[in-house]
This record gives sequence, C-alpha cells and structure tokens, in this order.
Amino acid sequence: MPAGRESTGLMSAACCDRCGAGAAAQAARVARRRLLKAAVFPPQAGQATGQAGVSEIAPDRPVGGFSDPGQLPRAVSGYVLDISPQVLVLGDADNEQRYTLTPDATAWRGALLEPAAIRQGDRVVVRLHPSSRHIADRIWANLGRVTGIITERAGNQLVVDQGATRAPSVVVIQPRAIGRIQVRFPTLEPGYLVDIMGLRGDGELIGMIPATSQPSYPADRLPAPQLVSGHVPDAIGGSATWHEPTDEPAGVLGVNYPALDPETRCVEDHLSDYGQGYARMPYLAVGSVLRVRNECTNLDCMLPVIGCAPMARLFNDRCVTCGTSPRGRVADLTMASFVALGGELERGCFNATITIGE
Amino acid sequence: MLDALREVQIPLLAALMLGASSTKLIRAMRARSISGSLGPTALFPMNMRGPLALMFCAIECGLGAGLIVTAGRLGHGTPASFVRLGTGLMFLVATTALIELRTAKPDVGCGCFGDFSSAPVSNRTLARSALLSVAAFSTIGLGPVSQPRSAAGAGRLLIIMAIELIVLAALSPELGEGLIRLGYSEPCELRALASDRTLAALRRSKQWRRHAGLITSEAPVDMWRELCWRYVVFPARYRERDTELIFAVYLQHRRPTVHTALVDAVTGDPVPWPTSPPRNGIGWRPLRLAPSGPAWPADA
Repeated sequence: MPAGRESTGLMSAACCDRCGAGAAAQAARVARRRLLKAAVFPPQAGQATGQAGVSEIAPDRPVGGFSDPGQLPRAVSGYVLDISPQVLVLGDADNEQRYTLTPDATAWRGALLEPAAIRQGDRVVVRLHPSSRHIADRIWANLGRVTGIITERAGNQLVVDQGATRAPSVVVIQPRAIGRIQVRFPTLEPGYLVDIMGLRGDGELIGMIPATSQPSYPADRLPAPQLVSGHVPDAIGGSATWHEPTDEPAGVLGVNYPALDPETRCVEDHLSDYGQGYARMPYLAVGSVLRVRNECTNLDCMLPVIGCAPMARLFNDRCVTCGTSPRGRVADLTMASFVALGGELERGCFNATITIGE
Repeated sequence: MLDALREVQIPLLAALMLGASSTKLIRAMRARSISGSLGPTALFPMNMRGPLALMFCAIECGLGAGLIVTAGRLGHGTPASFVRLGTGLMFLVATTALIELRTAKPDVGCGCFGDFSSAPVSNRTLARSALLSVAAFSTIGLGPVSQPRSAAGAGRLLIIMAIELIVLAALSPELGEGLIRLGYSEPCELRALASDRTLAALRRSKQWRRHAGLITSEAPVDMWRELCWRYVVFPARYRERDTELIFAVYLQHRRPTVHTALVDAVTGDPVPWPTSPPRNGIGWRPLRLAPSGPAWPADA
C-alpha cells in the first residue's frame, strides 16, 4: 500500500470537490470552466456546446450535448419494489417509478435471465428504451465490479486495493467461475492487477466474470511508458470501462480520466502515487469535456471529466468487444454514461474513441 | 565469398548475445528482480518466470562467450559446432516463443534487449530472430576464423558486416526507440509543468501588465489545465461590476503565449475590454504566490 494511505482515513481521503466543506462552491467553479474557456477561445461554428446531464429516477430531464438525444438509451438506477413480466417498479414508499418492460427485455443477475427473476430489494440499473422514458428493455441487478491491486489472497478470497478514495474490497470468487477468471487473470497474487465483475453481496463481491485480461506485470513494476513524439492527436482510441459509484451522485453522466494534471492535486493521485502509468495521455482537469464515441455502436456524446482514474492507467489491456482496441483504458465511465453509449455492463468495456478539446 | 559471409556471423552473433544478456541483467538490477514482465517468460506461471529469465540470461551469456572462445583454433571442431548449434537452436526456439507470445499476449514486448524491447512483438522482431537463427546454423562446420590476409579481404568482411548490421537495424524496433530517446522532446500535452512557473511566466507577460489593474485579489480563484494551456482566473472589478479575468497561458518555459478574456462574475458573459489600460489596482507591483500549497481547492 502506498505511503500516506494508512495515516489518512478513507472519509477524509474521499473528500474532494464533490463533498465536504466548500464542495458546492468548488463544483460551481468546475462547472464554469468550460464557459470561461469558451470566453478565451470562442468555439468555432459547428462545434457542440452542450453539457451532459444527470438522470436518476427522473429521466425526463432534457439532456443536451448528445449527438442525437432521441437515439441514445438512458439509464436509471434504484431498488426494486416490485417486478412482473410486464412492469418494473423502482423507488421507495414515497417515490415510485413504474416502467413497462418490452417483450424482449432481458435481465442480468449473475447470468442472463427473464426480468421476472429479479427480486424485490435488488439494486438495479435499468436501460430505458430510446423511444420512451417509461419503457425499459434491459436490467442489471446487483452488478458490481472491483478494479485494483490484490493485497491479500486466501483461497478464493481476494482483498483488492481500489485506490485512495475507495475502501478495499473483498472479492469471493465463485468456485465455478475460478477457471474462467484464471484464464484471463492467471496471477491472482498480491501486487497484481485484477478487474472482476459479479454480484454485490454484503460488503463483498461474488466474482463471476473477468472484466478484461490481466497485465503481465505487477502494479509496482510497470513497464516504462512508450515515448510519444510530435503532436498528440485530439482523438485517441482505446478501451472505455465503467466503475461503480462511490461519492458521485447516482446516475450522473461523466467520465473519470486517467491523466489529470498533477498540479490539480487530485486526491486519488496525491494519496496513491501510482505515477504516470503505462500509456501517456494528455493532461486535463476536472471539468474538461470529452467526446466519447462507442466504436461498437457508433453512439457518441460529450461527457465532463468528473474525477481521475488512477487504476485505469495501470492497465495496459485491450478491449475486445468489437475488434481489439488500439490501446488500454482511455476513459472510466459512470454506469449511466456507459449504458447511454450503448455499452453492455456485463461485458466490462467497449472500444472507444475520445476526442479532446471540442 | 560465402565463407566470408559465414565468418562475419560469429562476431555479430556473439556481440548480440552478450549485448542482450547484459541489457537483461541491467534491467533486472534496476527492478531488483530477474523476473521481468517482458519476453516469453510472461507465458509461464509466476513462480517459474524468475528462474527461466535467469536461465535465458545465463545461456545467452554462455553462448556469446562460447562463440568467441571457439572462433579460433581453440575449441575448433566439436566444441565450436556444439556452441553454434546451440546458438541456432536458441534463436529458433526464441522465434517460436515470440510467435506464441504475440498470440497470447499481444501487448507484451519481446524483452530481447531488456527495457529497450518494450514494444509489442512485431513481424520485424520475428524476422530478426529467424534471420539470426539461420545465421547461427550457417556457421556450423566453419573452420577457425583467422585474420584477413589482405586489405581487400578485410574490406570485403567490413562491407558484409556493414550490410548485415543495416539489415539487423532495419529489423530492430529497439533502434528507433533508442534514437527517439536521444532526441526526445515531450509534447506539451504530456509535459508536467508546475503551476507556480505558469504564474511566474504570466506575471512577466505583456498581457498581465496590461490588465492586472483590474484584479482585486492576489490569489487566483481557479486554475486548471487542458492540453497545452493552463487557465488562471482572477476576480476583477470593472466599472463597478464584479468580473473575472481569465488568462490562458501556453505551457512553455520561456515567453509563453497568453490570451485573456473578461467575463461577468455572475453570468459569465464576456465583458468588453476597457479602451485604455487601468493604472490603479494591484497589478503593477510584483505578486507572489504563497509557497505553502495551492490557493485554490484541490480537484477530485
């Protein structure tokens, strides 16, 4: 574990621009950055100027910045109050939201199932049909993901360091999934990287699906980054992954970016000391806006950078959802963003191209 | 001519093997472990990688030294053939291992020359390994290598060696990497530059002298970076109106380009610049950022 982590409690480490004293003022500042930048460098005609928005139980809010909002699926999340083959009810006693399920709607709860197999009380992420905000066609129940560095292993149980602002997570690999996981993650030993998806249980993840392939190096012995010469292209192809929300609002559209300017003293970077990572990326800041394009579905949208992704830059993996991505992780999306861009959460990633500076 | 071509292979192969062995050793010493993550050892289980890497390093060193020792009359015959056969087999095995590595782990470099060989295995890497294998097998049965008897003979050897070196260089991704490192200048998008240097450069700029009279606080209220630009925002006052003065500073060490804009503090709408530069305010005296930490809140 990096120096400094032990002396700093998780709560204090988690305090950043999204929480704690002065958070609202700082969030307002960050939100203004695009506006202030546009004052210095007015956008050229034809460039998109919209910002991505938020959707949680109230998906009717219009969202600008998408290339074609009517064509993009939206996601909501919440707890299941009731479910039948035709109707899904989310929310609590005070706030219910009903969604009609399409005849071909499918659900994931450790495996692909009929929606009726979802249980009351399950935490779900629901993809809404582009044609209506009250029709759902895809449900993921209790889906979780742990990405980080293995710190302990006891049999099929792993303790994984997920970075400075997340609590270490326990992953219990399902016995019948161990073979499948070890094909992609052959070295389940302390110091090595792991990225596993599965069902969220009480304080642990039941590991079922390998999200990617394991880099062959331990996290503290990254190969020297390749040298980049000349102008860095505005569009960078790679792998886009998703992460579970921690202190960010559920349903927020945004992206954690692997290379925030070190001078911004990103809390995750400051406490982690993971260095530049394997693949160099242009430096940005929270509030910068990326155009993220899903190369598998041809959907794209503008997403704000909402945090840094210190773990993503340790992975020199490739996404193989549709072809092989030209490089490793270039964006770590919120679940809502991943779904909005047509990603299937249980696949872990999609081939993406990010465009900076629009 | 054919004998001359075969004779050239001995010193070339020996130099390559000793070079490869020493770069692997240097890499292992830097990482304080021989169990590198590069090369075909990545195909093996974790606990076998260290011993295998050590074994490959020792074999390369031994064969490289053996090629030199058995090149002349000493060791001529069976020992020389044994070493040369071993060298050929080693490159043959390496070629097949690299093919397997490229299939199983396309992102892993061959590790042939330690850290220099971090680029993923390519057709050039495979061709080089195969070529060296053929070169090693071609030396089996060659008599003792002796000094050339004439200047023409020496020149012929040098020409052959130069041509082969050019071919090997063309097949070596490591050479391009090395040349890039020699003349490398990091793109500004990837260059880390301290924010206090940006502020110092800003305060030396003409734009600062022109507009700093509007600024009402020494510390910026926000500062962020995007690609090659760092944006610095100061609170300002213009015509009894709260405004914000934004400087965009290009990230270079000397005489950076600076762009400015004045916006309304509430609405963010651009405000027309004053027709003449203000002379009051704090802008004409040097400002210094407090050395203890940033004056703006940390990002997430």
